[in-house]
Order: sequence, then structure tokens, then C-alpha cells
Amino acid sequence: MKMADGSTILRRNRPGTKSKDFCRWPDEPLEEMDSTLAVQQYIQQLIKRDPSNVELILTMPEAQDEGVWKYEHLRQFCMELNGLAVRLQKECSPSTCTQMTATDQWIFLCAAHKTPKECPAIDYTRHTLDGAACLLNSNKYFPSRVSIKESFVTKLGSVCRRVYRIFSHAYFHHRRIFDEFEAETYLCHRFTHFVTKYNLMSKENLIVPINVGENAAPGESEA
Amino acid sequence: MGTNSGATAGINNKPVGGATGAGVLVGGGVGGANSSIGGVLSNSLGGGGSGGLSISGLNAGGQNANVGGMGNVGGDDGGNGMVGGGVNNQQATTPQYTIPGILHFIQHEWSRFELERSQWDVDRAELQPATLRRHGHRQCQCRPTPYRFHLPSGQITSGIDNEAQLASQCCLERASAWKASNRNLTRRIKMLEYALRQERAKFYRLKYGTDPPQLNEFKPSNEDAGLAGEVATDSEVPYSSVSNTTWRQGRQMLRQYLAEIGYTDNIIDVRSNRVRSILGLNNNAEHDGSGGGLGGGLGGGTGGENLSPNINGNESNKRASETEGRHTPAKKVQQSIDEIIVDTEAAVMANFEFLGATEMSDDDEISDDLEMVATDNDDTDVKLAKRAKSGKDMLTEDLEADVGEQLLNDMNLMTEEVDGSLGLGELAQLTVNNESDGAYDANSKDGTGGSAGGAGYRKTWNAKYTLRSHFDGVRSLIFHPEEPVLITASEDHTLKLWNLQKTVQAKKSASLDVEPLYTFRAHTGPVLCLGMSSSGETCYSGGLDGNIECWQLPSPNIDPYDCYDPNVHSGTLEGHTDAVWGLTTMQSNIVSCSADGTVKLWSPYNKEPLLRTYTASEAEGAPSSVDFVRNEVDHIVVAYNSAHCIVYDTETGKQVVRLEAAQEMSGNTGKFINKVVSHPTLPITITAHEDRHIRFWDNTSGTLVHSMVAHLEPVTSLAVDAHGLYLLSGSHDCSIRLWNLDNKTCVQEITAHRKKFDESIFDVAFHATKPYIASAGADGLAKVFV
Repeated sequence: MKMADGSTILRRNRPGTKSKDFCRWPDEPLEEMDSTLAVQQYIQQLIKRDPSNVELILTMPEAQDEGVWKYEHLRQFCMELNGLAVRLQKECSPSTCTQMTATDQWIFLCAAHKTPKECPAIDYTRHTLDGAACLLNSNKYFPSRVSIKESFVTKLGSVCRRVYRIFSHAYFHHRRIFDEFEAETYLCHRFTHFVTKYNLMSKENLIVPINVGENAAPGESEA
Repeated sequence: MGTNSGATAGINNKPVGGATGAGVLVGGGVGGANSSIGGVLSNSLGGGGSGGLSISGLNAGGQNANVGGMGNVGGDDGGNGMVGGGVNNQQATTPQYTIPGILHFIQHEWSRFELERSQWDVDRAELQPATLRRHGHRQCQCRPTPYRFHLPSGQITSGIDNEAQLASQCCLERASAWKASNRNLTRRIKMLEYALRQERAKFYRLKYGTDPPQLNEFKPSNEDAGLAGEVATDSEVPYSSVSNTTWRQGRQMLRQYLAEIGYTDNIIDVRSNRVRSILGLNNNAEHDGSGGGLGGGLGGGTGGENLSPNINGNESNKRASETEGRHTPAKKVQQSIDEIIVDTEAAVMANFEFLGATEMSDDDEISDDLEMVATDNDDTDVKLAKRAKSGKDMLTEDLEADVGEQLLNDMNLMTEEVDGSLGLGELAQLTVNNESDGAYDANSKDGTGGSAGGAGYRKTWNAKYTLRSHFDGVRSLIFHPEEPVLITASEDHTLKLWNLQKTVQAKKSASLDVEPLYTFRAHTGPVLCLGMSSSGETCYSGGLDGNIECWQLPSPNIDPYDCYDPNVHSGTLEGHTDAVWGLTTMQSNIVSCSADGTVKLWSPYNKEPLLRTYTASEAEGAPSSVDFVRNEVDHIVVAYNSAHCIVYDTETGKQVVRLEAAQEMSGNTGKFINKVVSHPTLPITITAHEDRHIRFWDNTSGTLVHSMVAHLEPVTSLAVDAHGLYLLSGSHDCSIRLWNLDNKTCVQEITAHRKKFDESIFDVAFHATKPYIASAGADGLAKVFV
């Protein structure tokens, strides 16, 4: 651990590292991670190895606190959704998408404001992600990343519901962006699996057609 | 003394009551005893002399008399009664004694025993508290002595004296043990004092880089000594020539006094008598102290660091302690001083006769008087110092003039002045020196130095703001040049804008949480580095995606949930083909370095933003960090994977100098440079290395100037404050360290972040104009220290 003489693996991205070598180090077993961020490290390691292996990424290790597991996954989802938001920023403007909609059935109101507001889709996306970032990093609700109070685990459900609308909006209104993004990250796929597995959202809300089954295979997107 | 009288009555009764009449007499004394003794008598008379009978009867009688005589004696007495019976029994077998005679003797003996017993009990009751007290004094410092002595029953009579003797012996023993423990305590105090002095010296060395000139012994400096002399002669103090040794002796005594001050009032009195015997000296010390910068000496001498400021400055405290009464332990130190003042009142009065006169007329009560003397003492002392400085001939007049004023108010004013130490010039130093004792000294000096304006700017940094909102490690952060605003860049692909004035009080902690005002999204991968224009209007970020994004900073008062303004993102500098790891700005130009091996100079708002590309030989590897050479226009310094730095001329693109030390750096790839910064004013380059070193280079000669192991793990980040006095370094050992660039010593270390994999701290920063420093960590947090 002390010296980088090749005897020990140092998992560091030193300045000057090429982007293809970023985070490219041998996997570390979860039980050997002594960091408070072990779960995050573990999840990111799995995603790095193969983002399409949703099943494996979502397989909770034994003796893992389920609250923390869900929490860290949701953090990871919100973080990766930034990528989708970046793409949407280029195309989704208040003039084209004046409201946050997926199908014509619902107009979603933005919960980031004191009184929920009918924000344009891009604002809704940004506000929802910013709000989720604040909530999930809140010292009040989630002061620790190694243990989470059961009462606050319930908050994860509402975060899931809101961020899912970003997927659905992208799917129904910016299909090209959605497909590109999904082909790269399998994020919606993984997210759908996640909320189904941990029962964080009801099935009728999962409107993006993704086949959640045993045969969930990569290439779900129609890209 | 009911027990005594009862027993006496019994004794008187029994000789008389040799015959049946005794029953009546005894009965008059004690009701319960009456009937049983009567019974015994009648029994023995009627029985005609059966030993067994009489004995049993006597026993019963004895017990009863016992009960009657001493209502408070329990089961023990039964045993005694038996002893009496035993003796009686032997006597009863000898023929020449008559039954009534025996009875009488027994009763007599019995009551004598009882009398002695009761006295014994009384004595014991008297001795017990004293013993307990002494036990308390010795506490755990001498072996516990069993109080009760178990003597053979036959020796009871002498046992009483015996025990008294033993008890006194024990007392003596304890006294000596107590003295021994006193010595012990004194030695410990000396040891502690020595350690404290050493610590202070160390602290001083760390802070100022030189050996403390006068902190060690509280010796007055030459100037101060001279002052003290002046003060002494001016006020006609007869004991002006107090040598250091006697003075230290006095301190020693005082310290002893303090050590024992937690004991009973008796002891305090005894001790205070002893202290009084050396009072002249103490009074002297106080005078010289406040007059010539020795005030701290008294504080040190009495062993209380809090004391010193009390004496010198805080009059209200002093008054409070006096009125609070003398049994508050915390204030006892203060009182001891007050006692000193009581005793030397006369002397003080003699010295300040003019003051004394007014006080006497103002207050009649002694205590008030004392208080006034005390305040006046300090008051005049401070003034003496002042006047002695300005001109001693003025002294008397000034003092007299002051007498007319409200002394207390004056004092308060004075205190304020001292505290603020503004507008006093050299005096400020002097008065602050008065309080020179330990940590307080350092703090007060720092505080006043800082407020006085910069030269001695020194402080302890404490975490105040926690910036939590990033989902992954924060790779870089940068302060706005003027506002309390900063930007962080994270591996979660975003940058966030923070205004330190918009905080949320965190639960149950002194630190404040800040919510981000704006999230910058454009990078499609981790954001690695940041730069900001000198105006603070534009910010640049380099990412793993190879892009440099340009941002117009939104207002620091923006609503975090405002509408999306696409103009915040004002452009992308495309040119690098791999991760951009280093970015720095100079006026309108930025220079960046990338894992593609190139260093590029940009002018972001030109039509053709890319001005020039600098490429080193293959052998140097990829550049890891870059900075403008601050004291040389058109020079940049680039750190390469080869652990060399190269200074380029930006105009010609030529290498100006190579910073390398063949010996120091020979063939070790572990010396990889994580960060390079240029000193803001000197031709010095500072590098942070993977091998835990920070190295300093001379830009003109390219030679290594200084090399030091700075952290426990690789040094990842560096920042130099705008004046070039301090260096901040961050490391994967989770800590940031502040260094004095003058003497390369560590001023402060703060553990700031947690590890993610083998990384911890990615960046550190100074605010250019405000007292903020910040650190960014792999744990997704940024922290700001004030």
C-alpha cells in the first residue's frame, strides 16, 4: 500500500493518465475494500467491467446492507443521468419541449420549487437531477454512506419516480439521444431492473418498453 | 452527655445498694435496670450463695444495668458483660469475699468500664472526622492505615490510651507522608512546567522559525528590564532590585501554594501565612511584571495560564471572583492574589499614596478598598508602562491627573485598548507582552497581529463549510478572485458553483453546509481541472473527454432552480485528443496539458483560439501538470511523466530551462510529478511528487533548491497564497498541510477527506483575497476552511 514498486496495486488515476486507462486497474474484491465508499467502488467496478451485465451489477453481495446498496445504486444512476442531460441540453429546448411529458397522458410538475411548477422539459430534467443530488448528499437525510436509516430509504422511491421521467421523456421525444445513450450505458435498462427488483416503483409507471425478464439481454435498445 | 450521667448514677448507686435498698435507689435512676437488679439481689439473697446462680444473676444484672446506663451500647456490651462475669467468677471462688461485696465490686468495675467505654466512644467520635480529613488530604498517595486497633480484651483499659497514642502516631506518620507527597507534587509541577515550556518553545519555533527569545524563562528582555527599573525608581518602590533567582523562588513558593490550594480552609490559612511571609517579594513581582512585560511571569509562577490575562486585563472577572466569596475553587488563585494584595496594602498605599487617599475617601469597606487597590495596581501599571515609554518625567503628573477620573471606567477603557491594541504602536507590543503566557500569548498575538494589518498574519484554519452535492470524487476546485464563491469539478461529469454566503446550518455541528447554486453540464466524462479568468467572469474546465469547456459564471445570487440558460456554456476548445489534466490561466490566455502529450496555449475568445502547441520529446512522456511562470512573462512550466519539468518560452516555443537533479531523481519512476506550481513572485517552481516529496527549483539555473518529505503518501496538489508566503499541499494520506515558505516548516495539518480506492485529496486552493482555503477529495466532498 505504501510504495508503488509494482508489488502492490495502487488504484490511482495519476495526472497524465490516458482516458482509456482511466480507472483501469485490476478489480478489487468488495471484502478487501476498507473504505467507507466501498459499495460505490464496488458498483463502479462492476459497471466499468461490463455495463451491459445488468444482472450482475444489481446482484447484491452477501452481508450487504440493502438500504446502502439501494442508496449507492441510486447515486450512481443520478450521476450517470448527467450524461443523458448533457445530450438533451443540445436538443431539448424550452421552445421545443415546453412541458415535461412522456406520453400525452401526463404533464409532470417540477417538484424542485416551493409550489410544483410546470417547467420546460430541460429545466425539469436539470432541476430534478440537481434536487436529487442535494437530497442524496444531504447531511440531514443521509449523513452516512455506510448505514442508512430505514425511514429515509423510503425517500429513494420518490427520487426514482422523478428521475425515471427523464428516461421516459427522452424515449418519447428524443429517441435518437435515448438510443445512443442507452447503447452506451444500458442505464435505463439497469434502472428498470433496479426499481423492479427493489419494488421502488409501480409497474404501470414504467412506461419505457424494456423487457424486464430473465432473458434480459444486451442490445435492448433499438439503436 | 446522658450516657455519662447514667453511668455515674449507677456507680453511686451500687455501693449504697449493697443490701435490698439498692433496688429502690437504682430504680430511681433507671427504671428497666431496677427490676432486674432487684431480681438478682433477691435471688442471690434467697439462694444463700450458690456461685452458679449468683453469677448468672450478676450477668443478667450487668447486662441490664448496662442497658439502663448506656442506652446506646449494642451487642458488644454483652461480651464485656461476660468478661466482667468471668473476672467475677474467679473472685467468687475465693472464700474471703462476701456475695454483696462481690456484687458491689463487679458492679463498680462494670460501671467503670462503661464509663471508660463511653469516653472512648466520645474520643473516637471526635477523632474520626479529623482522620477522615487527613485521609482526604493524603488521598491515594500513601497507604491506607486501618483506623481501628483490635486489642486483647484484657488490655481494654490501657487500650484506650494505647489507641490514642497510636492514633497520634498515625497522625504523625500521615503528616510526614503528606509532606512527602507535597514534595512529590511539587516535583510533578516542575516537570509539567518544564514540559510546558518545552512545548511553548517548540510551538514558537514552528510558528516563527527561530528559537523563542524570551519565552523559555519568562525573562524580561533587556528593554523590558530597563523599563522595570525605570518604573521602580519612578514610583519609589523600595524593592526595585529583585534578582531573577529570588523572584523565581517566590514563584516556587507560590506554585506550592497553588498546588495545595484545593485543600481545607485551615490549610489555606496556614499556607497563606507562609505566603504572607514572602509577600514583599510577590508584590514586587507583580509590579515589575505589569510594568515591564513580566506580567506573564506571575501567571506562570502561580501556574495558572488563565490567571495572567485576569491579572492584566480582565477587571470585571477579578471583581466577580472577589464578590463570589472565597470558596469557589476556580477562583482561589485569584483570591490568593487578593490576599497578597491585602497584606501589601500598606506597601501599595505607600507607593501610590495619592491614589490611596482618594480610595479611602470613596470606600470604607475593606473589601471594596482592596478591589480598588487591585484595579489601581493594574491600571497604574499599564499606565506606568505607557508613560515610562513616552517619558518618565510625565509619570507623576499623569498619574495624579488620572486619580481624578473614574478609575474603574478608566480601567475598562484601558482594557479595551489593550485588547484591541490598535493605535498604540509599540505599546501594543508591550501590553500584549504583558499577557505573554503560553497558548494565550500565541493566540492574542496572532489575533492582534492579524487585525493590526498583515505582517504577522497567522492563524489556525478550521473547517467551516462542507460542499456536498457531487456524486463522485471532486477533482479540482477554484476560487473566485474576489467573491466568497468557488467552483468545483467532479468525476460525476459536472461542475458546481457555490456561494459561501448561502449556507444551511448543518445539524449538530459547527460546520455549515452549502448548497450548490448552479450545475455546469457539458462534459461527457469526469472533469479533471479548472481555471478561472482574473476577472472572475469566466471559468474553464478540462475533462477526460479531451475538451476544454468555457463557462460564463452565473450571478452568485442566482436561484438554484432557475431556468436553463444555454449561454452559460460559452464554448468548447477542441484540440486535445486525450484527457486534459492541467489548466491554468494568465490574463486572457489559458494553457492546458493533456494525456495526448501536448501542451496548448489558448486565447479562448479569439477566432482561432488555439495559439500554440508545445511538444516535448517522446522520452518525457505525457505532461501531468502545467503552470505559468508568474514572475516571468511568456514562460510556462510543464511537468512531465519523466519527473522533469521544462520551462518553455510561449512566444518562441523553445525550451528555456529544464528543472532536473540527476542525483536526486535518478532512474526512479516513483518520483512522478502530480502537480507543478510557480511561486507568485520569486523565480521558484514547486513540484508535488508521488514519492511524498515536495521539491523546490530555481527557475534560472534549473537546479534543485530544496527537497522535503511532506506527506505520508503521494503529494497530489499544491497551492501558493497570493503573497507567496504559504504553501498548501494535499496528499492521498487524506490530509492537507500548510507550509511556511520561508523556512519550509509545516504550520498546520488538517485531515480533510476519506479515501476512495487509493486516492484521497485531489486539489487544494487559496482564495486570492479572502481568508479561505479549500480542499477537494475523492469522497465527493469539498471543504472550505477559515
